Amino acid sequence: MIPTVTIAMAVETPRVGRRRARSRTRGSVLPFVGVALIASMLLFVLIVPLLPGFDPLAQDLSRARLLPFADPAHPLGTDAIGRDSLSRLAEGGRTTMLIALAIVAINLVLGVTMGLCAGFFGGWMDSFITLVSEVNLAMPVVLLLIAIASIVGPSALLMVIVLGCTFWMGYARVARATAMSLRDRDFVLAPQMLGAGAGWTIRKHILPHVVPQMLILAVTDIGVVMLIQAGLDYLGLGVQPPSPTWGGLILEGQKTLRIDPWPAVLPGLAIFLVVVGIQFLSQKFTAEGTLPLRKVR
Amino acid sequence: MTKYVARRLLQAALTVFCVLTIAFVLGRASGKPAALMLTEGATEQQIHDLNETLGFNRPLLEQYLDFATGVLSGDFGNSYRNPGVPAITLIAERLPATMTLALTAFAVGLALALIAALAIHIRGSKLLRSLFIWGGSMRQSIPDFFFGVLLVLIFSVGLGALPSLGYTGPSSFVLPVATIATAQFVLYVRLLDSSLSEQAGQEYVRTAYARGKSHPAVVVTEMLPNALLPVLTVAGLNLAGLLGGAVIVEQVFAWPGLGEVLITAVSQRDFAVVQAGLLVVAMIFVIVNIAVDVLYSVIDPRVRPS
Repeated sequence: MIPTVTIAMAVETPRVGRRRARSRTRGSVLPFVGVALIASMLLFVLIVPLLPGFDPLAQDLSRARLLPFADPAHPLGTDAIGRDSLSRLAEGGRTTMLIALAIVAINLVLGVTMGLCAGFFGGWMDSFITLVSEVNLAMPVVLLLIAIASIVGPSALLMVIVLGCTFWMGYARVARATAMSLRDRDFVLAPQMLGAGAGWTIRKHILPHVVPQMLILAVTDIGVVMLIQAGLDYLGLGVQPPSPTWGGLILEGQKTLRIDPWPAVLPGLAIFLVVVGIQFLSQKFTAEGTLPLRKVR
Repeated sequence: MTKYVARRLLQAALTVFCVLTIAFVLGRASGKPAALMLTEGATEQQIHDLNETLGFNRPLLEQYLDFATGVLSGDFGNSYRNPGVPAITLIAERLPATMTLALTAFAVGLALALIAALAIHIRGSKLLRSLFIWGGSMRQSIPDFFFGVLLVLIFSVGLGALPSLGYTGPSSFVLPVATIATAQFVLYVRLLDSSLSEQAGQEYVRTAYARGKSHPAVVVTEMLPNALLPVLTVAGLNLAGLLGGAVIVEQVFAWPGLGEVLITAVSQRDFAVVQAGLLVVAMIFVIVNIAVDVLYSVIDPRVRPS
């Protein structure tokens, strides 16, 4: 259900009316709120490991299931086998964010390469990429990952590879369109006339034109990928225990939901804050909700 | 028109072919299945014998053709862990529960989105639009399964009003459907809002006002039918994702659907079952999308390629 976010955004790609959007969001504080949210979550996952007593794996059954603020040594309490919730939350956040970044980086490189080649060369390259998108859409990433995990066993690396290879279509689509619109321009044709190779021409003269759009897309995608990744961790298909992730922590916390909801709620809240932060930030680049409404007569 | 349908069918056949090939390659990439099916202590000879009986020692091309014709005639092979049980049986038992959940949630989400989009445009209210779209975006920033956990916390643990686990009657539908439907809502309210806004500037809308139609009548009878068309396409493309997402949400509510079978299959390394599930979902997706495309070109002649 989440992958469709990317599709929907492609359907209403907000390139049009960009100027109007800018003037509308100029005074907006939302992007700053977004940056502040993301920065504070980053600080949280980076600073907590420096605190004394940080250990996401140490068990202490005598101090299991402490509520938040009940014990100064465990500010957010402990889980069912007495592991420190604050440490696990920070460690889980670090893992979750790092993995999301790795996945988006792979998507970005793969998508830009495929898109530029398809747009620049056209022909069978182009048809091939269309076919890959079709096949990709027909196989939900959750099922594909389940299929491969049922052969080799679930692991974080497998999740990174599968997600890394299945969410690059958005980048490819935009890169392809740009490459197609530029390939017959003089500044692209001239170096080729002088003997420059296709690879060099693409790198030197077309790539710089797609980088800004790609980075904007990548920022938005980090949120999308984090949501999917959390779902997969929750199913037990991603990072394997005892390493904590936000999705995995929710799964653990759900078992004791009736006694103590905090272990499930806090990591969920953390995911929400990061994803909302990214949404706010990407408001700076999109023109959502700026289409005119017809006046009621 | 016939040519268009033929080309679309060809494209679909190619997609099915690719999906089949990927499934086959995945299944064989890890070696011959017998090693997975027998216990750890099995001897080389036992593994070889089982591979021989199951036909895994034959040339790959021959196996592939067998596999492909089998799948196309509904034979997906047997489960590795439940000897003699066809993998498709395990899937077919659970698929209806997942489909019912996903489609109910889709219908509820779409209906809510339709009401919201009509309200925005009939009232011409920017406030309503911000409310729905921002509310929706906030909901979208919460992972679906976590939203489900929150609903359980509030309505089952807190209020004790609704069942949270398994299927115990129609009220069991409420929480899982609410979880998926709210996620679907955002997608469609955005889409409907932007396509209604697009229609608002068209000449035919101005003409309708000139004929003296009231604003609500113009929105509902003139703009809406055109604005609904993109929904058809997006809903078709969204289908695979909808089912994939339902599999995750099912786990929150212990829903007796595909999710449980598939997760068990992962822990038992039962690739045959997962493969059947993947192929069935992919084929449903391909068929539904052909139907959508053909339907679309019947409803809206403009998209027919000349």
